Amino acid sequence: MTISLAIDTSTSRTCVAIIEDDKVLWNGHRDGATEHGPALPSLVQEGIRAFSIDEVIVGMGPGPFTGLRVGIAFAESFALARGITVRGVCSLDAIAAQVKESDFIITVDARRKEVYWARYVDGVRLGEPAVNFPAVVTGATIYADLFPDMKALVALPGNITEPIYLRRPDAVATADRS
Amino acid sequence: MSQPLVLGIETSCDETAVGIVRGRRLLANVIASSVEEHARFGGVVPEIASRAHLEAMQPTIKQALKDAKVSLSDIDAVAVTAGPGLVGALLVGVGSAAGLAIGLDKPIYAVNHLAAHISVDYLTHDQPLEPTIALLVSGGHSSLLQVNDITSSIIKLGQTIDDAAGEAFDKIARVMKLGFPGGPAIDAIAREGNATAIDFPRGLTTSNDWQTRPYDFSFSGLKTAVARYLENVPDYVRADVAASFQESIVDVLLLKALAAAKSSGIDSLVIAGGVAANSRLRAVAQTRCEKAGIRLRIPAPGLCTDNGAMVASLGALLAAANRTPSPVAFDADSSLSVQTVSLT
Repeated sequence: MTISLAIDTSTSRTCVAIIEDDKVLWNGHRDGATEHGPALPSLVQEGIRAFSIDEVIVGMGPGPFTGLRVGIAFAESFALARGITVRGVCSLDAIAAQVKESDFIITVDARRKEVYWARYVDGVRLGEPAVNFPAVVTGATIYADLFPDMKALVALPGNITEPIYLRRPDAVATADRS
Repeated sequence: MSQPLVLGIETSCDETAVGIVRGRRLLANVIASSVEEHARFGGVVPEIASRAHLEAMQPTIKQALKDAKVSLSDIDAVAVTAGPGLVGALLVGVGSAAGLAIGLDKPIYAVNHLAAHISVDYLTHDQPLEPTIALLVSGGHSSLLQVNDITSSIIKLGQTIDDAAGEAFDKIARVMKLGFPGGPAIDAIAREGNATAIDFPRGLTTSNDWQTRPYDFSFSGLKTAVARYLENVPDYVRADVAASFQESIVDVLLLKALAAAKSSGIDSLVIAGGVAANSRLRAVAQTRCEKAGIRLRIPAPGLCTDNGAMVASLGALLAAANRTPSPVAFDADSSLSVQTVSLT
């Protein structure tokens, strides 16, 4: 009997859930691509009121960086404060879990007209997530408007310790400027 | 709470910093800087800074707890810089601080970065400093303030209308190929130079400026003047240029700070922010304040640049004054006004 605090800020929706094994004890979200900073603490504070949390599971992306980091920073510090473990998982996998098809693609807005995406065949992700223009993301049904399934997020195996950025920071060294 | 144990988190620019204070006593001040990662870009790259903050946050918190010899469960309150600063960078600190505060079920103080710079002075001096004039000079800010109460009443008298003083140092250092950040490099080379060799302009010091905006600063004209000088005098003496440029900045900062003290009848001046670590500014301020009968306070150089101790210090002052903590859900504010000491 483990009670998990599940957090995902990889999409425009701030998602928080309290999950006990396969039961959703509490579930809350707030929409807004720049709302993660204030949304996450208020959701968590409301969600954890009646529960003693044993572990934290957090979506590590891919997703727009600023919001993504809010979730990871919060999750790591909350776990440190409680002396409990924190585990990172791939957010796209938690989105994919709710699709009941044998071959499909999940995309998430990556800004700059690009998408983060991964293809799933028979419930398994093909390779690593990537970032591309939508025009080149083809080959199977595309699901573009879904958010993470938080029960699935908690059930994902493994531990990803670094945010899944997929892009390098924009910057040009002074020596390379024309 | 007279001696609250407060952990402060600062991530407004390129320093991931955590400080711990008990009341006015400094227990830990740990800083992980990503400055070297920015050097080849000639300035701070926000996304690089934000990534580095997230990477450094947990180790920095743990090191601060270790240095302070306290455990997280002992902490009475968490403080964090809510602004001003780079929004993506700020949000790493805000997220971390909220996670700690909710995890510990302790209050959080979302504080102003600029007020925190001034409040760090409380860690090194016993007497209260208010009311005082405060000159806040760093890579991102140059303001002249009147501090009536550090926890509740700070009035902005003036600020830069273009570059911050520290930014001017960085830009001139770049043109002179002295590296980034420019402040320490120019400070060092200027010691070998003649500060009166070149008469660089003093921004906003015409008689009209003294009438209309006596406490505002402008450094972009100076920057242009130095750049033009370097072009026109190919065999320039680097140390003389650095010293003369620095002298112009120091002179105008102190002219205005002392004028503010005089006209408000306040005989106290605090200089804070990264540029307050400049040795020439410290020396000239000492001389001029002594002459004017003004009590001068400048934090130790290590506490002038961005750090977590200053955030913890302001948090502890707010807690000790029984100020209302911030709501647990708040947003980072990249342009937070200095008049807002903490979010309520």
